Amino acid sequence: MTSLNTEVMEEGFDPEPGKPEPVKELAGRSPTRIAMGRLAHDKVAVICGTILFVMVLMALLAPVISNAFGLYHKIGPGQAALTDLLEFDGLPRVGPPLHPFTWDHPLGIEPGTGLDNLSLLLYGLRTSLFIAVLATLISTIVGVTFGLVAGYATGAVDAVMSFVIDFLLSFPFILGALALAPIITTRFGANSSTLGRAEFLTLVGVLVLFGWMGLARLIRGQVFSLREREFVLAARVIGVPTRQILFKELLPNLVAPIVVAISLALPGFVAAEAGLSFLGIGLSEGTSLGKTINAADGYYDKYPLYLWVPVGTIMVLVIALNLLGDSVRDAFDPKTRR
Amino acid sequence: MRLKQPIIAVTVAGLFALAACGGSDDGGSGTSEGNQEGEGAAQEGGNTGDAQDATRVDGPVEIEGATPGGTIKVISVAGLNTMHPSEAYYQNTSTILSGLVTRALTQYVYDEETKSMVLIPDLATDLGTPNEDFTEWKFELKPGIKYEDGTDVKAEDFIFSTAASMDRTQFPEGPAYSNDYLVSGDTYEGYFTAGKTLDGFEAVTVEGNTITYKARKPFPDMPYWLTFPAMSPMNETAAADPAAYARHPMATGPYKFGEYTPEKTLQLVRNDQWDTNTDPGRTQYPDSYEMDLQVESAQIDQLLLSDSGDAQTTLTYDDVLNENYRDFDASGRLVVGGFPLTSYWAPDYRKITDIKVRQALAWAYPYKDAYLSAGLIEGVTAIPGETLMPPGTSGRKEFSPLPDHEPGVTDPAAAKALLEEADAVGYEIKFLYAKDDPKLVKQKDVIVKALEEAGFKATPVPSTVADLSTVRADPDADINVRSPGWIADWPSGSSWFPPVIQSTNLDKEGLGSNYAAFNEPAIDQRIEDIQLLPVDEQPAAWGELDEEVMTEYFPLFVTRYGGVAQAHGSKINGHFVDNTIGQPTWKNLWVTQ
Repeated sequence: MTSLNTEVMEEGFDPEPGKPEPVKELAGRSPTRIAMGRLAHDKVAVICGTILFVMVLMALLAPVISNAFGLYHKIGPGQAALTDLLEFDGLPRVGPPLHPFTWDHPLGIEPGTGLDNLSLLLYGLRTSLFIAVLATLISTIVGVTFGLVAGYATGAVDAVMSFVIDFLLSFPFILGALALAPIITTRFGANSSTLGRAEFLTLVGVLVLFGWMGLARLIRGQVFSLREREFVLAARVIGVPTRQILFKELLPNLVAPIVVAISLALPGFVAAEAGLSFLGIGLSEGTSLGKTINAADGYYDKYPLYLWVPVGTIMVLVIALNLLGDSVRDAFDPKTRR
Repeated sequence: MRLKQPIIAVTVAGLFALAACGGSDDGGSGTSEGNQEGEGAAQEGGNTGDAQDATRVDGPVEIEGATPGGTIKVISVAGLNTMHPSEAYYQNTSTILSGLVTRALTQYVYDEETKSMVLIPDLATDLGTPNEDFTEWKFELKPGIKYEDGTDVKAEDFIFSTAASMDRTQFPEGPAYSNDYLVSGDTYEGYFTAGKTLDGFEAVTVEGNTITYKARKPFPDMPYWLTFPAMSPMNETAAADPAAYARHPMATGPYKFGEYTPEKTLQLVRNDQWDTNTDPGRTQYPDSYEMDLQVESAQIDQLLLSDSGDAQTTLTYDDVLNENYRDFDASGRLVVGGFPLTSYWAPDYRKITDIKVRQALAWAYPYKDAYLSAGLIEGVTAIPGETLMPPGTSGRKEFSPLPDHEPGVTDPAAAKALLEEADAVGYEIKFLYAKDDPKLVKQKDVIVKALEEAGFKATPVPSTVADLSTVRADPDADINVRSPGWIADWPSGSSWFPPVIQSTNLDKEGLGSNYAAFNEPAIDQRIEDIQLLPVDEQPAAWGELDEEVMTEYFPLFVTRYGGVAQAHGSKINGHFVDNTIGQPTWKNLWVTQ
């Protein structure tokens, strides 16, 4: 809000100093706008952004696409009997690996269930993205709040909060997830109707529980350096309430690190969700890329399409998110040059 | 008999190994479904045999063309639960012991002509002499039998091992037939729990080399019970510490324990005290056996399919994964056969009281789709059937308990018609499934779909692989259908009806293995009566009873019989299926040099 330093530095590092830039336009640009402008000129960012946009679009349209082509992503009414879809050993009767390509099922069908791989992929992507976005959102809110409070409070409060952060950071994630997930799902998922929801919330909960500390630490450090700045001191002197100082004075100055943290957390959560589902402590109901990869595990040379498409999708998704995250960080950090 | 199943241990161990190295997507945990809840079955290998041959008393056994030497590697997903002879009651542990390590009074051998198992004497000179009503059996111990340390096997050792086999506190997982049939089995607590004393134990008496077993009720199947490792001789002093003995049971057979890491690896080396001339069943061709356990299914299949290096002398008693079945079949190194497993759905007789609803359920069940989704292969690892007693049980009768129903046929329309007749459309079926086994989750989806198509309301109740059998055994669980499997311990109806159909005292004993909670005093009485019939009339009577129970009461319906599809390397010979239990014929194995 009150900080203009980014903007000033931006001007100082203008790559084309000879170009006559009207001064008034410069005066009106916020750090975020500058960053967006830089992103738009970053080829990697544009490509990754486009890929992500397409993926999100496909995930959102999963039901539409599946219905339009009559593809099934879960066993249910209307689907043909498995004996009509699968051979005696569970391999598909149509499409790869034993039969030629067919447009009815462009990615083939799943051995053992006869479900359509394209539909599974789209719904899996939907689950992955939804869980990752939700986990990122919650862990950002928790992390930012925690960091702000800890950094601004100092003293005993900060010591306790830092200890909590350090404690959770030192706690092994996979072990914690392995121990916690079954307990929570058993407690709340006693019947099959609530099981799906319980598993979903548990998964998000576990991801958040072990995912917010990095950001909290970062924010706490930033708050330390901002706390003694003149505008904060001034606000304090004129009696602005603490909450207002935290969220109206400090927070806007932390947008850059938060955006960067979010863009790097997202791919982490996508990968973690797939990993947990692969390990069997994610979702047992519903579709997930990790689950598909787990099921396709043994088919790597027999039915490569079945395994490598979801693996490739996760890879592309995570790489695109990571590269975009890098670009975002570069865009927000005026000191980086590429 | 229990299936080889310490799957839980495997899964958990797998997960923690991963956690320890911080990885999240290599290795694997979801591939242990190979053994859950019964594994499949093929007719091809012939029926489970009820053949006996009391004249095969002396060795040596020679296999034509077999050469000594070589090491056989055995790989499997499942660990070895416990190797204490008194407690070994899983498919893998009990057959490894009885096939290679521990001799008993009687034994099974494989007959290549009938592709079936034959019961022959082992340490005894014949198959025993019963008294008139089969409550007393006399066996004559062969002289000169030695343990691996050179000490003699004495007739008294059978007293000790029988006393130990009654110890349900020390050996909770062991077979309980000594308790069920023998004298003092219901009062004596077992050797260790009773305080290392034989006071109060009167089931076995010894006179010179003659061993006499006394039973409380007629026990015509005694020679079958004696094949179990639990009934093999154990020296009282050597086996004084059960935990230590479980790590190294004294061998009387051709192989003894070498290095052994419980659940993980076991090495068997030649036992030079074993005398081939006294053994009409076993051979000692390979130098040693190396068992490497808790290997992932996909890895086992890849190794055996590659058939290079060590893999040529490797075998597995796990079923090959369905997706690799064709490759193994083409390689000619696939071994298929049936074994006496019946998997069935048992509607709770107290809750689903209308026989029409139970019959509708049998019409609605998606037999073939359920096989496919669970990775079973119809006709190989899953054989459709309808009668409780699987093929090979003596006295088995072929009949259709459900009018016009062919094995393995699903007909939602017929189910709906029956439901309408019973005025029970929308009847709620609550059944358990293991949510942590992806294949079983898929199978659940298939079943739900089929039941709803037939007009039922399906409510699957999630459980886990680890908890499922406990919840299923709870008579008060909030479910109205249970889906167990039962493996016969010997090919007779007495191994089926008393445990599976006879009513139990629900408050005191729980369901036992009567998962339908079936309770008809008339049938209970019939079961009691048949066990008192002359032995040669019993098989037919069990067959009659099967038909009577299934057509009149329809307490359960069979989803499949079991079968196995195992594979071995190209240098392994003599790997057939022991169709009494679905394991390799350990006694016939040898390696091409």
